[in-house]
Amino acid sequence: MNAVIAASGLGKQYRHAWALRDCTLAIPEGHVVGLVGPNGAGKTTLLRLATGMLMPTRGTITVLGERPAAGPAQLARVGFVAQDTAVYARMTVADHLRLGAWLNPGWDDDLARQRIGQLALDPKQRAGSLSGGQRAQLALTLAMAKRPELLILDEPVASLDPLARREFLQGLMETVAEQRLSVVLSSHLVADLERVCDYVVVLVASRVRVAGEVSDLLASHHRLSGPRRAPGSLPAGQEVITESHTDKQTSLLVRTDGPVLDPAWAVKPVSLEDLVLAYMRRAGDDAPARRQHLGVAS
Amino acid sequence: MIRFGMLQFRIQAITAAVTLAAFAVLLAATGPHLASTYAADGLDICHGSSCLSPATYFTASLARSPYDVVFLLSTGIILLAPAVIGLFWGAPLIARELETGTAALAWNQSVTRTRWLAVKLAIGGLTAMAVTEALSLMQTWWAVPISQAVADGSGAGVAQSRFSQLNFATHGITPLGYAAFAFALGVTAGALIRRTVPAMAVTLAIFAALQVAMPLWVRPNLAPPDHTVIPVTALGGAGPSQTGPGGDTFSLYALTIPGQPGAWILSSGPVNTAGQATSTTPVACASVGTGPGGGPQGNGFLPGQGPAAFVGCLASHGIREAITYQPASRYWRFQLTETAIYLALALALAGYCFRRLRRLS
Repeated sequence: MNAVIAASGLGKQYRHAWALRDCTLAIPEGHVVGLVGPNGAGKTTLLRLATGMLMPTRGTITVLGERPAAGPAQLARVGFVAQDTAVYARMTVADHLRLGAWLNPGWDDDLARQRIGQLALDPKQRAGSLSGGQRAQLALTLAMAKRPELLILDEPVASLDPLARREFLQGLMETVAEQRLSVVLSSHLVADLERVCDYVVVLVASRVRVAGEVSDLLASHHRLSGPRRAPGSLPAGQEVITESHTDKQTSLLVRTDGPVLDPAWAVKPVSLEDLVLAYMRRAGDDAPARRQHLGVAS
Repeated sequence: MIRFGMLQFRIQAITAAVTLAAFAVLLAATGPHLASTYAADGLDICHGSSCLSPATYFTASLARSPYDVVFLLSTGIILLAPAVIGLFWGAPLIARELETGTAALAWNQSVTRTRWLAVKLAIGGLTAMAVTEALSLMQTWWAVPISQAVADGSGAGVAQSRFSQLNFATHGITPLGYAAFAFALGVTAGALIRRTVPAMAVTLAIFAALQVAMPLWVRPNLAPPDHTVIPVTALGGAGPSQTGPGGDTFSLYALTIPGQPGAWILSSGPVNTAGQATSTTPVACASVGTGPGGGPQGNGFLPGQGPAAFVGCLASHGIREAITYQPASRYWRFQLTETAIYLALALALAGYCFRRLRRLS
């Protein structure tokens, strides 16, 4: 497996606290990867380390096999859209495209103009007067038109209204379909990820709780419900992710590669959101002080 | 990256061009008339010591003319230009990118941060130096009649020697050093503080403090000063003053040094026959040159020959004037040294910015 992002023992300490601590992960290439986790899990820190915006305090991180922002060539291979999708307020849309053309040897001007046209942005308009959605689209256009091998998006849709969010992700998916492009996209909105991601990484408190292709994960996780019993009585190979009990009933979310044969259980498939929540809740048991809730896209 | 740097520098470039144009218009509108006044006073045809009288008349007439105002205004603009550049070009260079989040955009194009900063520093720094030096050269051209009158031996009001604090800091090559340093200081403050407005405040405070400290404490010591002891009767225009009750003490400062025109006098004061500093009036001189109701009661010398008579009496009692000074011939050496100091500081700050930039996000 070729990793687009590989981290080992990665840590970033700010003056008072660790934003990311002892993080080890490998994100494979050729996927649209959803990086999901509660606020404070370290998603933004991880992605900023991956773009070279931050320097690690400990450990190592490689992106496409190189140190992030190691040089112009490495920078050219990675596109980044930051959380606030900042653009130069005083510069026009056209100025931003010139910026992209000047600063990126692999700049795809046709792609950029085509996207700006599709978005019906006025090239003469100052970026400062664009709506949040348009600004995000402009930032995404810049990141895409440099023709990166890896596109890193940090909560790109968090501040957008549902329609703008859908349009943004739509545009992203169209480009991904056309280009051979790996994408790593962080969000705390699982519904967004469900629409676009084929690989998911759940990050809680700097640790990867689960990672894998969405289809595999959905196929190997089941919700079991039946008469109350201790989870220890499950056969080998069935790992309990979460459990809940009432006086008479037990409900489990289990991971197993084989079929669930016990007729006492009613077996139901799980949604990606259930699955992600289950792993985050399980992690929450390790650190019960902070229980995080996931927002749900409307 | 250079084209992008230029694109982002558009507003600053326009501001600089407008300022230069306005400055040029102001000086071009008044300069020829100043030169013609200079000629009308007979200064363009005089030779040697015959120039002193018209030069004195010329410099005295400046004080009542708008040229006085134009000189001080243009000098003020040249002095302020580096500070303004440091504040408005330097401080936001990195801080604004961090504040608005556009650093994530700028530093994720296919250009390393080092190159990004190198280009931005080069464009901003070189423009800052060019603009400030252009202002200085224009004003130097405008003030040629005034400088010439000073060289002819007159010094009054705005007409001061090249070593005077206003002239030294606005003429020659020092504006280059100030501009480069102020710009680099602003950039560094922005990189450290990461917020534009506080960085501007810090830039202003540090630059102003340095511009005060430099002429007061550093510049006089850029080369070991020369010392001389001359007769008090050779002090020319310098007038004595009696201080203390009954005129028993006096002071006498040198304004010029015979044979050392344009020298920068750091300190001067009377010394006795033993070469020790003194301010005690010899008893015999206490009432020399003073009039009834004057002198001993501290009301001053008789008009006319009063001061000269007093000075003559001092001289006859062995009192001489000790002067510490920098000769006028050291002007360019001082200009070069001071400019080199500021440029070295600017380079050191820029070097620090490159190191710091790698750890910014």
